[in-house]
Amino acid sequence: MTLATLQTRLTCPFCGPRHLSEFVFHKTVAPPNASPFAEVYERIDNPNLSIEHWQHVRGCRSWLRVHRNPSSGSVLEIHLLGAAI
Amino acid sequence: MRGASPHYSAWSLLRARIKGHGYWQPLWTGHKLQEAYDVVIVGAGGHGLATAFHLARDHGIKRIAILEKRLVGYGNVGRNTTIVRSNYLLPENHYFYEDSLRRWATLSRDLNYNVMYSPRGVLDLALSEDEMSKAARRGNAMRLAGIDAELLDRAALKRYCPELDTQRARRFPIVGALLQRRGGTVRHDAVAWGYARAASALGVDIIEDCEVTGVRSTAGMASGVETTRGYVEAERIVFATAGHTAMIGSMLGVPLPIETHLLQAMVTEPIKPLLNTVLVYVYPGHGETYICQSDRGGLVMGGMLDGFPSYTREGRWDRMEDVVEGAVDLLPHIAGCKILRHWAGTNDMTMDGSPIMDRLRYDNVFVNAGWCYGGFKAIPASGAAFATFVATGSAPDLIKAYRLSRFTTGHLLDERGGGPFPVRL
Repeated sequence: MTLATLQTRLTCPFCGPRHLSEFVFHKTVAPPNASPFAEVYERIDNPNLSIEHWQHVRGCRSWLRVHRNPSSGSVLEIHLLGAAI
Repeated sequence: MRGASPHYSAWSLLRARIKGHGYWQPLWTGHKLQEAYDVVIVGAGGHGLATAFHLARDHGIKRIAILEKRLVGYGNVGRNTTIVRSNYLLPENHYFYEDSLRRWATLSRDLNYNVMYSPRGVLDLALSEDEMSKAARRGNAMRLAGIDAELLDRAALKRYCPELDTQRARRFPIVGALLQRRGGTVRHDAVAWGYARAASALGVDIIEDCEVTGVRSTAGMASGVETTRGYVEAERIVFATAGHTAMIGSMLGVPLPIETHLLQAMVTEPIKPLLNTVLVYVYPGHGETYICQSDRGGLVMGGMLDGFPSYTREGRWDRMEDVVEGAVDLLPHIAGCKILRHWAGTNDMTMDGSPIMDRLRYDNVFVNAGWCYGGFKAIPASGAAFATFVATGSAPDLIKAYRLSRFTTGHLLDERGGGPFPVRL
């Protein structure tokens, strides 16, 4: 399900749909078995699915795991970081 | 000469005046894709075209093809804000970009095509005494390397750029600026057309609408590329696909220290000559604006990255607002101007902000990537140095620091000092 196009809004699990400028992108999530080097420097590039950590910095400050399609700009899923998926 | 485009000179222009529009011929035409090449270059942007030009002219390589997914100059060479400069802090970067700036000065003659290099100066504005110290440090580093840099106080700044309102009371007053006089602008599309015309005249095949979908290998060496127009055999393969290099990494199964971000730019309606230089302005905690006036009269503006990976080439609205606010803050009287056009390009953002010029996976596959926001101004130096690398197999000193292994060995070139993140907002 497409929640919103990223160009305008993200839906925070606590706060609901909020303007994109409230959120800050941190980095794409490294695979679970990544070496420390890969964790810091390497990035997975899948043009159809990007799994990322974001923070609702100018809001509730919670950390989020966002699944997006970077080719279309659509947001696929948003979870609270650490919550069971 | 293929494409029938004649040598341009004062006489030829006079002839054109007499002959009328019939004089003007396509800059390059009639290129057919062959089955095998010495060098296949992927991507007909500034870097790919410049590399092809230097391979053909300086190294005498005959069979060269440039394969382009879309059109010549469709990517970032036609999407940037046309600024050229060499005011970098780190030696590896300022020697490289200085080489590029020297080449910009003579490029129109080298290509026999007017790229409209305009050394109108680049002003990096400082908004506090601390920023003045930072500017002085950068300026001193440049002068030690023999690159021109001048630290201007407020009065000198006002003299250099009278249009800039330095007196108005602001929360962050303009204290001074770092000026590089030889910096300025170059007509970006002309760079793509000029290189394409010159490369075509030297026998390079420019194949548009031909997407590379894979690399074939035999015995640990790449043997050719799969394309939407069939298989092409190649002794050496060069990827110059900045903006989509991360996808090339995925294609070859090599994870790269690159994230793909969007960078926006916009231009206002044409107005009378107003701004005689290039202004670069970072407003604390707010955003960045760089602004110059095109020869047509439009004010060309750009700012910060959008801040997250994207291939959409659509900019986010609030970043556009940042840029416009910065521009209006510097030049309040342009507030009534309309934005005519607005666009975005995809940028390879490396984890230290400096480019990557190295082999990738195979000994005969070369990658020219990771230009972050510095790709356009690097084109002439990158083309010459990378052509030497591809032709001889050993990287010239100028680009040795840009090898991919620097991320493993820790020899990063972190110009911004920001750590392994392309953008921190």
